Amino acid sequence: MKMLEIKNLHASIEGNEILRGINLTVNAGEVHAIMGPNGAGKSTLSNILAGRSEYDITQGEVLYKGENLLDFEPEERAQRGVFLAFQYPVEIPGVSNIYLLKAALNAVRKYQGLDVLDAIDFLTLVRSKMDLVQMDEEFLHRGVNEGFSGGEKKRNEILQMALLEPALAILDETDSGLDIDALKIVSEGVNALRSEDRAIVMITHYQRLLDYIVPDFVHVLADGQIVKSGDKSLALELESKGYSWVAEVAPA
Amino acid sequence: MSRMMEFATPFSTLSTSLGQDVGWLTSLRKEASTYFKQHGLPAKKEEDWKYTSLQRLGQVVWEHTSKDSTILAADVEAVKQLDDAYHLVFIDGVYSDVYSEVASLPAGVIALPLSESLDRVEVSTHFGQQAIIDSPGLTALNIMLVSEGAVIILDDNVAIDKPIELVFINTGNTSDLATHLHNVVVLGEGSAVDIVETHIGLTDAAYFANQITEVVLAADSYLKHYVVQQASKAAFHITHLSGKQAKNSIWQTHSVALGGKLARQDLHTQLLGEAAHCVMDGLYLPRGEQHIDNHTRVDHAVPNTTSEELYKGVLDEKGRAVFNGKVVVHQDAQKTDAKQQNANLLLSRRCEIDTKPQMEIYADDVKCAHGSTVGQLDEAQLFFLRARGLTELEARNLLTYAFVSEVIDQVTIPELRQSLTTLVEKSMPAVAATT
Repeated sequence: MKMLEIKNLHASIEGNEILRGINLTVNAGEVHAIMGPNGAGKSTLSNILAGRSEYDITQGEVLYKGENLLDFEPEERAQRGVFLAFQYPVEIPGVSNIYLLKAALNAVRKYQGLDVLDAIDFLTLVRSKMDLVQMDEEFLHRGVNEGFSGGEKKRNEILQMALLEPALAILDETDSGLDIDALKIVSEGVNALRSEDRAIVMITHYQRLLDYIVPDFVHVLADGQIVKSGDKSLALELESKGYSWVAEVAPA
Repeated sequence: MSRMMEFATPFSTLSTSLGQDVGWLTSLRKEASTYFKQHGLPAKKEEDWKYTSLQRLGQVVWEHTSKDSTILAADVEAVKQLDDAYHLVFIDGVYSDVYSEVASLPAGVIALPLSESLDRVEVSTHFGQQAIIDSPGLTALNIMLVSEGAVIILDDNVAIDKPIELVFINTGNTSDLATHLHNVVVLGEGSAVDIVETHIGLTDAAYFANQITEVVLAADSYLKHYVVQQASKAAFHITHLSGKQAKNSIWQTHSVALGGKLARQDLHTQLLGEAAHCVMDGLYLPRGEQHIDNHTRVDHAVPNTTSEELYKGVLDEKGRAVFNGKVVVHQDAQKTDAKQQNANLLLSRRCEIDTKPQMEIYADDVKCAHGSTVGQLDEAQLFFLRARGLTELEARNLLTYAFVSEVIDQVTIPELRQSLTTLVEKSMPAVAATT
């Protein structure tokens, strides 16, 4: 089943064209990695998929499960099963983590026509997901990401993903700022969520993450276009030759 | 003439009596009346009244006697913040024997209406001592026309098992009703009590509440003082709350201002003994065309006293707010530790805040910090919440509540914290729009 189809997507911000015709199809069950140098448009792509409004879509379309994703508000995307793990998760003092988790889960369940979970069932579920990313229960009662280390914030993102069980997960630079131990924990969390009916798109600058979460496909994004696609060996080639190599092979 | 004389006219012909007026009160009234007739209401030229105009207040011919104070028992029950408390209830400015519950007060605690307490030495000693007649404001008017009030007196070393709630209800049965209540709270050495003031208008009626509360804290006493203001949206609600603190005393004030067309609270404490400590927390949430003004002042008069102040405002629609917080560290008040913070969240383009944190420091070995902020909801936080499935309305509401929760979380009576949470949530546009 086609989970995500990006067709000739052009996008600009304040008159600067960032994406110049992206084409990408992601099927259920697949893990795709999108790699690229700084400024290639990686974060723009993930922001547009999640619904940030400051970009102008000048051409093309994005289909999610066959529906026009760009027509949906950010919350409608989330409720339908699209999840963005943020590169820089925000801190929200005054809103406890457990409140956020519950509100997010209930929003999704409501859309799915399910009852909201009672306090005990919810806590049981959250605890099982916290084990997955090795988070202490103490984090539930702190403000969202408030005073969390870089690694704790990223684990918190994966915790949210594990709880919400999205159909399409987009991980934006989830490896950035992680030490090796945190990277392992986060990767194990993501790997545990790999399944036949879920698609994962990882956006990353470094090949390192792909040692832990092995992708089915690797795409190289440069200057707003996907210039090369391949299997996991492409990431290794990129690692040894550097991003300058991409510029050489890219179609003019 | 710095004040507008014509404001005095509607009031100047009035006089009132408080049961059997006693000598000391009669002479105070005379003094107040003379002053008020000369000066009238404060005009905007007064620095402390620069952003808050009493012009409209001065144009109304106020009714000073309640015509009909009928009220349903259920209404009284519904407006109380606390079930588990002693209650003094005032309806349209008149003390209600029926609805007050003070019979079971423990020994060493007195809670009575002012009209039944005029012969008490604590009352004659402290009434009008802090609320200075010849200061700009409505003090003179209050003393001139005072008709009732609450008196709470704790003997030395008395700690009370339950809070005392003062409930001030305007029924709306008498239009343009003015009330001038004057409360006196005296805590003996080492005593402790929680007091909750509930001010509420049951309808949208216009009225004028002009209230003074004078608080005296003896050494080692501890007062937690909550003020929940839900005046009607057409009311002029003006309160003056001032305290004197002896050594080691603690006065914590928590004020939540939701109502009023024009609401003004002056809060003042004098730290007169070493190690005296005060906390001033406040929330104000003007919307529609409400105007809410908070003036606070802390006087650090002796060495080694401390104060902590946090006022937060959420302004929406055409709501206006004024925050003026003054901390004065007197010459001898070395080792003063004073913190003051005012933060404002503006939810619309049409609202307005005038904030003025002030410190006057005349000692050289002190720790003082103050600041004020004015901002809007954070777009990155909003997007994050929406990306997790919350609607824009839910996200805005949640972030707004998060902003005020810092103040609500300081409330230590669980029943009151819950009730304030509900009140604040109800006042939010997002909730109003979804329910």
